Amino acid sequence: MKSKSEERRYVPEISQKEVEELRSTIKAASQKIIAENIERMKKTAENRPEEMKYFDDIANFFGTREKEIRAAKEKGRKVIGYMCLFAPTELILAADAIPIRVNSGWYDTAKLGDRVVPVEVCPVIRSTIGAKMIGLSPYLELSDALISVLTCDGMTKLGEILSDYKPVWAMTIPRVKDSAQSLRLWNDEIKAMKSQIEALTGNKIDRKKLKSAIELTQKATKAFRRLQELRKGAPVIMGRDAMLVNQTYMWDDIKRWTEKTEALCEELEKRAQNKMWACPPDTPRVMVTGTPMIWPDNWKLPTLVEEGTPQGVLVADELCSSERLLYDPVGVDEWNMSDMFNAIAERYLMASTCPCFTSKDGNEDRINWLLTKIKDWNIQGVIYYVHRGCMLYAMEYTRVKKVLDDIHVPVYYLDTEYTREDVGQMKTRVEAFLEMLTARIDI
Amino acid sequence: MIMQLLGEVLKLMVLAGFAVAGILVILIWKKGLATKVTYLRFIIQIVTMVAVFYLFTYPVYQLIVLIVILVMPLFLGRFFCGWLCPFGLYMDAITLIRKALKVRYRLLPDKLNRALHNLRYVLLLIFLIITPVILSILFPIPSLDFAPIMALLFAGPFEPFRVLLGPLIPLIVPWVGPLEIGGVYFSYPYVQEVILYSNVVFSEIFVNVTALIFVALTFVGSFFVRRVWCRFCPTGSSLAVLNRFKGFKWAPALHIDKDEEKCTKCGICKRVCPVQVTEVYEQKGGKIDTSMCMLCMRCVEMCPYEGCLKVNMGGKTVFKSRNWLEPSTVE
Repeated sequence: MKSKSEERRYVPEISQKEVEELRSTIKAASQKIIAENIERMKKTAENRPEEMKYFDDIANFFGTREKEIRAAKEKGRKVIGYMCLFAPTELILAADAIPIRVNSGWYDTAKLGDRVVPVEVCPVIRSTIGAKMIGLSPYLELSDALISVLTCDGMTKLGEILSDYKPVWAMTIPRVKDSAQSLRLWNDEIKAMKSQIEALTGNKIDRKKLKSAIELTQKATKAFRRLQELRKGAPVIMGRDAMLVNQTYMWDDIKRWTEKTEALCEELEKRAQNKMWACPPDTPRVMVTGTPMIWPDNWKLPTLVEEGTPQGVLVADELCSSERLLYDPVGVDEWNMSDMFNAIAERYLMASTCPCFTSKDGNEDRINWLLTKIKDWNIQGVIYYVHRGCMLYAMEYTRVKKVLDDIHVPVYYLDTEYTREDVGQMKTRVEAFLEMLTARIDI
Repeated sequence: MIMQLLGEVLKLMVLAGFAVAGILVILIWKKGLATKVTYLRFIIQIVTMVAVFYLFTYPVYQLIVLIVILVMPLFLGRFFCGWLCPFGLYMDAITLIRKALKVRYRLLPDKLNRALHNLRYVLLLIFLIITPVILSILFPIPSLDFAPIMALLFAGPFEPFRVLLGPLIPLIVPWVGPLEIGGVYFSYPYVQEVILYSNVVFSEIFVNVTALIFVALTFVGSFFVRRVWCRFCPTGSSLAVLNRFKGFKWAPALHIDKDEEKCTKCGICKRVCPVQVTEVYEQKGGKIDTSMCMLCMRCVEMCPYEGCLKVNMGGKTVFKSRNWLEPSTVE
């Protein structure tokens, strides 16, 4: 392959000096924001679980985990980044590489991305491009290759743009979720990905390795579900804390993450027995659905909900950056290669409720899953959170609204950008919604 | 003498086994405690096989077995196929061997599977009606008394009725098949019926060829395709014939229910089904009343969404899918 740095198809040249300058300022600002966010989370939850300390530490982008990955890379382990949760993590783990999700949540880098793509594009895409332009995200920098799953239009082109810097493996994901030919295509894509991962890492993925990788993620799913189950009752953990735990899965060591999450769940179970709630049990229970909210910058909505007056608590969400990451397990029937591959393919394609899909009944799975969540988690209000530019989520709102109106659950459409400027007006809107929920509960 | 004693001991052991199985079933019913359904199913299958072999060797028991098998589907659907059928156990054992050898299974194309499914009724028709009619023309019935009719049914020209017990025959009666190697008979029970009639017309070579085809179908077939015989088994169709018709869909008290809202269509239920039933996956909630389903409950066990699939028995939920990802893996 010829050197990409000389000939870039998308990204304009920026002087080294400007890159350095931007990186140091944004990095400093970001470190401040991470610390501030954690500080605010500590303040909101009067008795924050002890085990959250670990996750606070991992949540720092420029800290422990970065050093660990650097050390692992020096020992010869490869790092494979992925942009959508459809990338087969199990295969990466089976090849003894480190899987890391590299989507960016930095507000400041979104402005840099504007130099490459128009402002109408989804801010997650713009921010990721910007982060790569100045080399901000350590995980994006450290990854040896990127898996780009062509889910939405933005992701399709993001992979192309990032291939200016790094080898990018594109995976075509079929848009029709429940047909046999879609599954065949996706199965082939997964198999192709296997040989690519094997070529990069030099490790052969065999039955035993794949089995242990699947078992590893199954255990993680189990811990993950345990945490979500705990949120069904009166709030034992603030929504932001739980979201942070969920999100650290994207870059943490999965085995350690599982252990720590189980430990956290144990602590929370004890708290639930002692009726030690994180906030008053009659706090309005809110669910967020829509576009991903990515740590550290894009944390404004959960902060507004949980720090607002009246206060709300996020007990569930349907975000691909949080609960959808890991809720669906890889269900293997027989532990042979072919069935394991089938199981992986089905878990990523068929179990997903991403609005980029359609099916015979028009992505009804998402509606059904929302209804189940509302029932099981006892949700009192839903915030439909959309980034400007995310067509898919925005277009599905009408349908969700219709269904939720039928069961008399208020839903509030909130569209925003990767910017801090609208926090003030968002605060008013969110608080008005929460006020309405409180009034409903009182009645 | 020693053999007789051994037989008595075995019978007691079987009874003990029955008791254990009964307790397990009650546990499922009461608390949903038994989470490893596949293991439970294996235990019950083995117990039934041994029971059929040792306990029901007298003609009077045969009649009971026949009545049980004919009456049970009214209430339990094809529960017999999934949980009790000894031939099913035989195929499951072959599947275990395949799993141990790490060979992957093959799937039948959906259309072929459906065609075979409908072929069952043709087979049933042939065995149940056409052959007896032809035979009764060849050998007229002497009288219409009850006893002679029963005798004809089991031993006389109406013997084809025994096809209802097809998979059980080698276990109920001492089995003498046409293909014998070292004192062990390798042919399949249905062969007996075929051979019985083909013997008259065709030569011995033909008999051996049919026997070989059956052995190949059942052993090699079920090695590569899970539960291959169940897809066109006339016994199964006779059990399911009631659920087939619209007016009778209420009849089976035991059935799988699906909660549409909890389903994310992850497709696990479709993949793990040993007889490739697609209805559990495709149907939008409600009662699963396809007669292809043999109620082995593997889908319920594997479903990763709490309460999405339920096994209901007479309005009560006996067993439902759980959240905790601990399905039984037989390896």
